[in-house]
Amino acid sequence: MTAATALQAAFGSAIVRSAVSCGDLIVWVERDRAHDILAWLRDTAGQEYNYLTDITAVDYRDPERPLEVVYQLRSLARKADLRVKIALDKLGPLEVESVYDLWKGADWLEREVFDMFGVTFRGHPDLRRILMWDTYAEGHPLRKDFPLRGHFTRAEQTRQALAANPEAHYSIEELTIAEAFGELPEDVRRRLAHGERGRVK
Amino acid sequence: MGLTPSAADLTPTDAELAGVSPNFLTTTLDALTNWGRANSLWPMPFGTACCAIEFMATAAGRFDVARFGMERMSFSPRQADLLICAGRLPFKLAPIIRRIWDQMPQPKWSISMGACASSGGIFDTYAMVQGIDTIIPVDVYVPGCPPRPEGLIYGVTMLQKKIRGETMVDPTLRRETEVDARGFYLPPEKIDVLSEPFGNSVHQTRSA
Ligand code: SF4
Repeated sequence: MTAATALQAAFGSAIVRSAVSCGDLIVWVERDRAHDILAWLRDTAGQEYNYLTDITAVDYRDPERPLEVVYQLRSLARKADLRVKIALDKLGPLEVESVYDLWKGADWLEREVFDMFGVTFRGHPDLRRILMWDTYAEGHPLRKDFPLRGHFTRAEQTRQALAANPEAHYSIEELTIAEAFGELPEDVRRRLAHGERGRVK
Repeated sequence: MGLTPSAADLTPTDAELAGVSPNFLTTTLDALTNWGRANSLWPMPFGTACCAIEFMATAAGRFDVARFGMERMSFSPRQADLLICAGRLPFKLAPIIRRIWDQMPQPKWSISMGACASSGGIFDTYAMVQGIDTIIPVDVYVPGCPPRPEGLIYGVTMLQKKIRGETMVDPTLRRETEVDARGFYLPPEKIDVLSEPFGNSVHQTRSA
Protein backbone atom coordinates (compact mmCIF):
# COMPACT_ATOMS: atom_id res chain seq x y z
CA MET A 1 0.00 0.00 0.00
CA THR A 2 1.48 3.33 -0.97
CA ALA A 3 1.60 6.23 1.43
CA ALA A 4 -1.20 7.92 -0.52
CA THR A 5 -3.72 5.10 -0.15
CA ALA A 6 -2.73 4.56 3.49
CA LEU A 7 -3.32 8.26 4.15
CA GLN A 8 -6.68 8.11 2.35
CA ALA A 9 -7.71 5.21 4.54
CA ALA A 10 -6.60 6.91 7.75
CA PHE A 11 -7.68 10.51 7.11
CA GLY A 12 -10.32 10.37 4.42
CA SER A 13 -11.31 13.79 3.15
CA ALA A 14 -8.38 15.55 4.85
CA ILE A 15 -6.30 14.25 1.96
CA VAL A 16 -7.25 16.62 -0.85
CA ARG A 17 -5.49 14.85 -3.69
CA SER A 18 -2.25 13.17 -4.58
CA ALA A 19 -0.08 13.03 -7.64
CA VAL A 20 3.15 11.51 -8.84
CA SER A 21 5.59 13.95 -10.42
CA CYS A 22 8.97 12.80 -11.76
CA GLY A 23 8.61 9.67 -9.67
CA ASP A 24 7.97 11.60 -6.45
CA LEU A 25 4.72 11.15 -4.56
CA ILE A 26 3.03 14.45 -3.66
CA VAL A 27 0.09 14.63 -1.26
CA TRP A 28 -2.03 17.77 -0.75
CA VAL A 29 -3.61 17.87 2.70
CA GLU A 30 -6.06 20.06 4.61
CA ARG A 31 -4.40 22.81 6.58
CA ASP A 32 -6.17 22.01 9.85
CA ARG A 33 -5.29 18.32 9.86
CA ALA A 34 -1.74 18.74 8.54
CA HIS A 35 -0.07 18.46 11.91
CA ASP A 36 -1.93 15.21 12.74
CA ILE A 37 -1.10 13.81 9.33
CA LEU A 38 2.60 14.64 9.63
CA ALA A 39 2.69 13.14 13.13
CA TRP A 40 0.97 10.02 11.80
CA LEU A 41 3.45 9.76 8.93
CA ARG A 42 6.33 10.00 11.38
CA ASP A 43 5.06 7.51 13.96
CA THR A 44 3.08 4.86 12.10
CA ALA A 45 4.79 1.56 11.45
CA GLY A 46 5.14 1.07 7.73
CA GLN A 47 5.48 4.83 7.12
CA GLU A 48 8.26 5.97 9.50
CA TYR A 49 8.99 9.25 7.73
CA ASN A 50 11.35 10.15 10.55
CA TYR A 51 13.53 12.72 8.78
CA LEU A 52 12.31 16.18 7.78
CA THR A 53 14.44 17.12 4.79
CA ASP A 54 13.04 20.57 4.17
CA ILE A 55 10.18 22.95 4.67
CA THR A 56 9.66 25.53 1.99
CA ALA A 57 6.86 27.37 0.23
CA VAL A 58 5.89 28.27 -3.31
CA ASP A 59 4.15 31.45 -4.43
CA TYR A 60 2.96 30.87 -7.98
CA ARG A 61 2.92 33.66 -10.53
CA ASP A 62 -0.78 33.13 -11.18
CA PRO A 63 -2.45 35.28 -8.48
CA GLU A 64 -5.46 32.91 -8.31
CA ARG A 65 -3.35 29.96 -7.30
CA PRO A 66 -2.89 29.41 -3.59
CA LEU A 67 0.45 29.67 -1.85
CA GLU A 68 1.74 26.23 -0.98
CA VAL A 69 3.74 25.19 2.06
CA VAL A 70 5.84 22.15 1.22
CA TYR A 71 7.16 19.50 3.60
CA GLN A 72 9.74 17.13 2.19
CA LEU A 73 9.92 13.98 4.30
CA ARG A 74 12.25 11.01 4.15
CA SER A 75 12.16 7.66 5.82
CA LEU A 76 15.75 6.82 6.62
CA ALA A 77 14.90 3.18 7.34
CA ARG A 78 12.75 2.59 4.24
CA LYS A 79 14.73 4.90 1.96
CA ALA A 80 11.49 6.49 0.77
CA ASP A 81 10.56 10.10 0.10
CA LEU A 82 7.24 11.87 0.42
CA ARG A 83 6.21 15.45 -0.31
CA VAL A 84 3.32 16.90 1.66
CA LYS A 85 1.77 20.18 0.54
CA ILE A 86 -0.68 22.54 2.21
CA ALA A 87 -2.48 25.00 -0.04
CA LEU A 88 -3.12 28.37 1.60
CA ASP A 89 -5.54 30.86 0.10
CA LYS A 90 -3.63 34.11 -0.31
CA LEU A 91 -6.65 36.13 0.77
CA GLY A 92 -7.00 34.25 4.05
CA PRO A 93 -4.55 34.15 6.94
CA LEU A 94 -1.25 32.54 5.95
CA GLU A 95 -1.05 30.38 9.03
CA VAL A 96 -0.19 26.74 9.67
CA GLU A 97 0.60 24.63 12.70
CA SER A 98 4.30 24.41 13.57
CA VAL A 99 5.89 20.96 13.39
CA TYR A 100 8.70 21.96 15.74
CA ASP A 101 7.30 19.49 18.31
CA LEU A 102 7.72 16.63 15.79
CA TRP A 103 11.11 17.56 14.31
CA LYS A 104 13.40 19.97 16.18
CA GLY A 105 15.05 20.71 12.84
CA ALA A 106 11.89 22.52 11.77
CA ASP A 107 12.98 25.49 13.88
CA TRP A 108 15.13 27.34 11.33
CA LEU A 109 13.23 25.96 8.31
CA GLU A 110 10.00 27.48 9.56
CA ARG A 111 11.76 30.72 10.41
CA GLU A 112 13.03 30.88 6.83
CA VAL A 113 9.56 30.32 5.36
CA PHE A 114 8.21 32.96 7.72
CA ASP A 115 10.95 35.39 6.70
CA MET A 116 10.68 34.85 2.95
CA PHE A 117 6.92 34.23 2.53
CA GLY A 118 5.26 35.61 5.65
CA VAL A 119 3.66 32.32 6.63
CA THR A 120 3.02 32.21 10.38
CA PHE A 121 3.70 28.95 12.19
CA ARG A 122 1.44 28.59 15.21
CA GLY A 123 3.28 27.13 18.18
CA HIS A 124 6.80 27.90 16.94
CA PRO A 125 8.92 28.78 20.00
CA ASP A 126 10.88 31.63 18.40
CA LEU A 127 9.36 32.82 15.15
CA ARG A 128 11.71 35.60 13.99
CA ARG A 129 13.29 36.51 10.70
CA ILE A 130 16.36 34.45 10.01
CA LEU A 131 17.93 35.67 6.72
CA MET A 132 16.84 39.28 6.75
CA TRP A 133 17.50 41.28 9.89
CA ASP A 134 14.91 41.71 12.63
CA THR A 135 13.97 45.28 11.77
CA TYR A 136 13.60 44.59 8.03
CA ALA A 137 10.48 46.48 7.05
CA GLU A 138 10.04 45.88 3.32
CA GLY A 139 8.03 42.67 3.52
CA HIS A 140 8.64 39.11 2.46
CA PRO A 141 11.08 38.94 -0.48
CA LEU A 142 10.09 35.65 -2.13
CA ARG A 143 6.44 36.63 -2.57
CA LYS A 144 5.61 37.31 -6.19
CA ASP A 145 4.26 40.79 -5.40
CA PHE A 146 7.68 41.81 -4.02
CA PRO A 147 9.74 43.89 -6.48
CA LEU A 148 13.18 42.51 -7.22
CA ARG A 149 15.00 45.60 -5.95
CA GLY A 150 12.80 45.92 -2.86
CA HIS A 151 10.13 48.48 -1.98
CA PHE A 152 12.39 51.26 -0.69
CA THR A 153 14.83 53.40 -2.62
CA ARG A 154 18.47 52.38 -2.54
CA ALA A 155 19.26 55.43 -0.42
CA GLU A 156 16.64 54.45 2.15
CA GLN A 157 17.86 50.86 2.18
CA THR A 158 21.42 52.07 2.71
CA ARG A 159 20.35 54.42 5.48
CA GLN A 160 18.49 51.66 7.31
CA ALA A 161 21.40 49.28 6.90
CA LEU A 162 23.88 51.81 8.27
CA ALA A 163 21.58 52.52 11.20
CA ALA A 164 21.41 48.85 12.17
CA ASN A 165 23.19 47.60 15.24
CA PRO A 166 25.10 44.50 14.16
CA GLU A 167 25.37 43.10 17.66
CA ALA A 168 21.60 42.99 17.93
CA HIS A 169 21.36 40.31 15.23
CA TYR A 170 22.90 37.55 17.29
CA SER A 171 22.36 36.67 20.90
CA ILE A 172 25.27 35.06 22.70
CA GLU A 173 23.13 31.92 23.10
CA GLU A 174 22.85 31.66 19.34
CA LEU A 175 26.62 31.57 19.04
CA THR A 176 27.30 28.97 21.73
CA ILE A 177 27.11 25.23 21.48
CA ALA A 178 26.93 24.81 25.25
CA GLU A 179 23.13 25.15 25.21
CA ALA A 180 22.74 22.14 22.95
CA PHE A 181 25.34 20.04 24.72
CA GLY A 182 22.89 18.10 26.90
CA GLU A 183 20.86 17.04 23.89
CA LEU A 184 23.75 15.62 21.88
CA PRO A 185 24.12 11.84 21.52
CA GLU A 186 26.15 10.17 24.25
CA ASP A 187 29.18 9.34 22.07
CA VAL A 188 29.38 12.86 20.64
CA ARG A 189 29.21 14.27 24.15
CA ARG A 190 32.04 11.99 25.22
CA ARG A 191 34.22 13.03 22.28
CA LEU A 192 33.49 16.72 22.75
CA ALA A 193 34.14 16.55 26.47
CA HIS A 194 37.61 15.07 26.01
CA GLY A 195 38.39 16.56 22.63
CA GLU A 196 41.11 18.99 21.75
CA ARG A 197 38.72 21.87 22.33
CA GLY A 198 38.78 21.13 26.03
CA ARG A 199 35.91 20.35 28.30
CA VAL A 200 32.59 21.80 27.24
CA LYS A 201 30.87 20.99 30.50
CA MET B 1 32.86 69.44 7.61
CA GLY B 2 29.14 69.70 7.16
CA LEU B 3 26.53 67.06 7.79
CA THR B 4 26.61 65.82 4.23
CA PRO B 5 30.15 64.93 3.33
CA SER B 6 30.69 65.30 -0.36
CA ALA B 7 33.47 65.56 -2.85
CA ALA B 8 33.62 69.29 -2.06
CA ASP B 9 34.54 68.49 1.55
CA LEU B 10 37.42 66.36 0.42
CA THR B 11 38.82 68.94 -1.95
CA PRO B 12 41.03 71.44 -0.13
CA THR B 13 39.77 74.98 -0.36
CA ASP B 14 42.05 77.85 -1.29
CA ALA B 15 42.01 79.04 2.32
CA GLU B 16 43.15 75.66 3.54
CA LEU B 17 45.94 75.56 1.02
CA ALA B 18 47.11 79.11 1.70
CA GLY B 19 50.34 79.12 3.59
CA VAL B 20 51.09 75.45 3.05
CA SER B 21 53.09 74.35 0.10
CA PRO B 22 55.42 71.45 -0.34
CA ASN B 23 59.02 72.34 0.40
CA PHE B 24 62.29 70.49 0.67
CA LEU B 25 61.55 69.29 4.20
CA THR B 26 58.00 68.03 3.61
CA THR B 27 58.74 66.31 0.33
CA THR B 28 61.72 64.51 1.83
CA LEU B 29 59.63 63.38 4.80
CA ASP B 30 56.78 62.44 2.46
CA ALA B 31 59.10 60.30 0.41
CA LEU B 32 60.24 58.49 3.53
CA THR B 33 56.84 57.93 5.14
CA ASN B 34 55.15 57.03 1.87
CA TRP B 35 57.91 54.56 1.07
CA GLY B 36 57.33 52.92 4.44
CA ARG B 37 53.55 52.94 4.22
CA ALA B 38 53.29 51.74 0.64
CA ASN B 39 55.61 48.82 1.26
CA SER B 40 54.11 47.58 4.50
CA LEU B 41 50.36 47.54 3.90
CA TRP B 42 48.66 45.25 6.35
CA PRO B 43 45.42 44.08 4.79
CA MET B 44 42.25 43.37 6.67
CA PRO B 45 40.58 40.72 4.49
CA PHE B 46 36.81 41.10 4.36
CA GLY B 47 36.04 38.04 2.27
CA THR B 48 32.33 37.46 1.86
CA ALA B 49 32.00 35.39 -1.29
CA CYS B 50 33.71 33.73 -4.24
CA CYS B 51 36.18 36.61 -4.69
CA ALA B 52 37.67 35.66 -1.32
CA ILE B 53 38.86 32.38 -2.85
CA GLU B 54 40.82 34.36 -5.41
CA PHE B 55 42.06 36.60 -2.64
CA MET B 56 43.34 33.53 -0.79
CA ALA B 57 45.10 32.43 -3.96
CA THR B 58 46.72 35.86 -4.11
CA ALA B 59 47.90 35.54 -0.53
CA ALA B 60 49.16 31.98 -0.95
CA GLY B 61 52.54 30.83 -2.20
CA ARG B 62 52.15 30.97 -5.98
CA PHE B 63 51.26 34.66 -6.23
CA ASP B 64 52.52 35.60 -2.76
CA VAL B 65 51.26 39.05 -2.03
CA ALA B 66 53.89 39.21 0.72
CA ARG B 67 56.29 40.24 -2.03
CA PHE B 68 54.51 43.59 -2.00
CA GLY B 69 54.89 44.13 1.72
CA MET B 70 51.60 42.54 2.74
CA GLU B 71 53.35 39.95 4.83
CA ARG B 72 50.84 39.95 7.61
CA MET B 73 47.11 39.46 7.17
CA SER B 74 45.55 41.45 9.93
CA PHE B 75 42.42 39.80 11.20
CA SER B 76 41.89 42.68 13.57
CA PRO B 77 40.85 46.00 12.03
CA ARG B 78 42.80 47.86 14.73
CA GLN B 79 46.11 46.64 13.35
CA ALA B 80 45.24 47.00 9.69
CA ASP B 81 45.67 49.78 7.16
CA LEU B 82 44.09 48.26 4.06
CA LEU B 83 40.55 46.94 3.92
CA ILE B 84 40.04 44.51 1.03
CA CYS B 85 36.38 43.80 0.46
CA ALA B 86 36.47 40.57 -1.54
CA GLY B 87 32.96 39.55 -2.45
CA ARG B 88 29.41 40.77 -2.45
CA LEU B 89 28.10 42.78 0.45
CA PRO B 90 24.50 42.27 1.57
CA PHE B 91 22.76 45.06 3.44
CA LYS B 92 22.91 42.87 6.54
CA LEU B 93 26.73 43.14 6.47
CA ALA B 94 26.77 46.87 5.65
CA PRO B 95 26.84 48.05 9.29
CA ILE B 96 29.57 45.51 10.00
CA ILE B 97 31.95 46.66 7.24
CA ARG B 98 31.21 50.24 8.27
CA ARG B 99 32.12 49.42 11.87
CA ILE B 100 35.31 47.66 10.77
CA TRP B 101 36.22 50.68 8.66
CA ASP B 102 35.54 52.99 11.60
CA GLN B 103 37.72 50.82 13.85
CA MET B 104 40.71 51.04 11.53
CA PRO B 105 43.17 53.77 12.54
CA GLN B 106 44.49 56.30 10.07
CA PRO B 107 46.25 56.05 7.71
CA LYS B 108 43.92 53.60 5.96
CA TRP B 109 42.90 52.69 2.44
CA SER B 110 40.43 50.31 0.90
CA ILE B 111 40.24 48.12 -2.17
CA SER B 112 36.93 46.99 -3.61
CA MET B 113 37.66 43.63 -5.17
CA GLY B 114 35.38 42.27 -7.86
CA ALA B 115 32.26 43.36 -9.69
CA CYS B 116 29.98 42.70 -6.73
CA ALA B 117 31.86 44.82 -4.23
CA SER B 118 32.31 47.59 -6.81
CA SER B 119 28.81 47.78 -8.25
CA GLY B 120 26.62 44.99 -6.94
CA GLY B 121 27.59 42.94 -9.99
CA ILE B 122 24.91 40.60 -11.21
CA PHE B 123 23.09 40.87 -7.89
CA ASP B 124 20.85 43.86 -8.53
CA THR B 125 18.43 42.70 -5.83
CA TYR B 126 16.73 43.79 -2.64
CA ALA B 127 19.41 42.23 -0.45
CA MET B 128 22.62 43.54 -1.97
CA VAL B 129 24.56 46.77 -1.50
CA GLN B 130 25.10 48.25 -4.97
CA GLY B 131 28.76 49.05 -4.54
CA ILE B 132 30.55 49.34 -1.21
CA ASP B 133 31.39 52.95 -2.06
CA THR B 134 27.90 53.79 -0.79
CA ILE B 135 29.02 52.47 2.62
CA ILE B 136 32.74 53.27 2.92
CA PRO B 137 35.20 55.26 0.81
CA VAL B 138 37.07 53.21 -1.78
CA ASP B 139 40.54 53.89 -3.19
CA VAL B 140 40.91 51.24 -5.86
CA TYR B 141 38.27 49.22 -7.70
CA VAL B 142 39.48 45.91 -9.09
CA PRO B 143 37.18 44.72 -11.88
CA GLY B 144 36.49 41.09 -12.66
CA CYS B 145 34.25 38.28 -11.59
CA PRO B 146 36.41 37.25 -9.87
CA PRO B 147 39.55 39.24 -10.61
CA ARG B 148 42.51 37.00 -11.16
CA PRO B 149 45.31 37.27 -8.59
CA GLU B 150 47.31 39.30 -11.11
CA GLY B 151 44.37 41.73 -11.20
CA LEU B 152 44.35 42.15 -7.46
CA ILE B 153 48.13 42.56 -7.39
CA TYR B 154 47.80 45.22 -10.09
CA GLY B 155 45.22 46.94 -7.88
CA VAL B 156 47.59 46.78 -4.93
CA THR B 157 50.43 48.28 -6.94
CA MET B 158 48.07 51.01 -8.13
CA LEU B 159 47.26 51.75 -4.51
CA GLN B 160 50.95 51.84 -3.67
CA LYS B 161 51.45 54.33 -6.46
CA LYS B 162 48.64 56.42 -5.02
CA ILE B 163 50.20 56.27 -1.54
CA ARG B 164 53.57 57.38 -2.90
CA GLY B 165 51.84 60.46 -4.27
CA GLU B 166 50.39 61.56 -0.93
CA THR B 167 51.73 64.63 0.77
CA MET B 168 51.46 65.73 4.37
CA VAL B 169 50.65 69.30 3.38
CA ASP B 170 47.26 68.21 2.05
CA PRO B 171 44.99 68.95 5.03
CA THR B 172 42.16 66.81 3.68
CA LEU B 173 44.19 63.67 3.30
CA ARG B 174 43.22 61.97 6.56
CA ARG B 175 39.77 63.50 6.77
CA GLU B 176 37.20 60.96 7.93
CA THR B 177 33.80 60.94 6.30
CA GLU B 178 31.49 59.96 9.09
CA VAL B 179 27.90 58.85 8.87
CA ASP B 180 25.90 62.05 9.30
CA ALA B 181 22.98 62.80 11.59
CA ARG B 182 20.52 61.56 8.97
CA GLY B 183 22.35 58.24 8.83
CA PHE B 184 24.03 58.75 5.47
CA TYR B 185 27.65 58.55 4.49
CA LEU B 186 26.97 59.89 0.99
CA PRO B 187 24.06 62.19 0.05
CA PRO B 188 20.95 60.08 -0.72
CA GLU B 189 20.70 61.34 -4.32
CA LYS B 190 24.23 60.20 -4.92
CA ILE B 191 23.53 56.75 -3.48
CA ASP B 192 20.55 56.38 -5.79
CA VAL B 193 22.66 57.34 -8.80
CA LEU B 194 25.48 55.02 -7.83
CA SER B 195 23.00 52.18 -7.28
CA GLU B 196 21.57 52.34 -10.78
CA PRO B 197 22.31 49.17 -12.74
CA PHE B 198 26.02 49.37 -13.58
CA GLY B 199 25.92 52.80 -11.95
CA ASN B 200 29.38 53.29 -10.61
CA SER B 201 31.21 51.01 -13.00
CA VAL B 202 30.68 53.57 -15.80
CA HIS B 203 31.93 56.38 -13.56
CA GLN B 204 35.18 54.66 -12.69
CA THR B 205 38.44 56.29 -13.52
CA ARG B 206 41.93 55.11 -12.97
CA SER B 207 43.20 56.37 -9.67
CA ALA B 208 46.83 56.48 -10.68
S1 SF4 C 1 32.44 39.53 -8.43
FE1 SF4 C 1 31.99 37.43 -9.10
S2 SF4 C 1 33.54 36.19 -8.03
FE2 SF4 C 1 33.41 38.17 -6.96
S3 SF4 C 1 31.92 37.91 -5.32
FE3 SF4 C 1 30.82 38.68 -7.11
S4 SF4 C 1 30.04 36.86 -8.15
FE4 SF4 C 1 31.67 36.20 -6.76
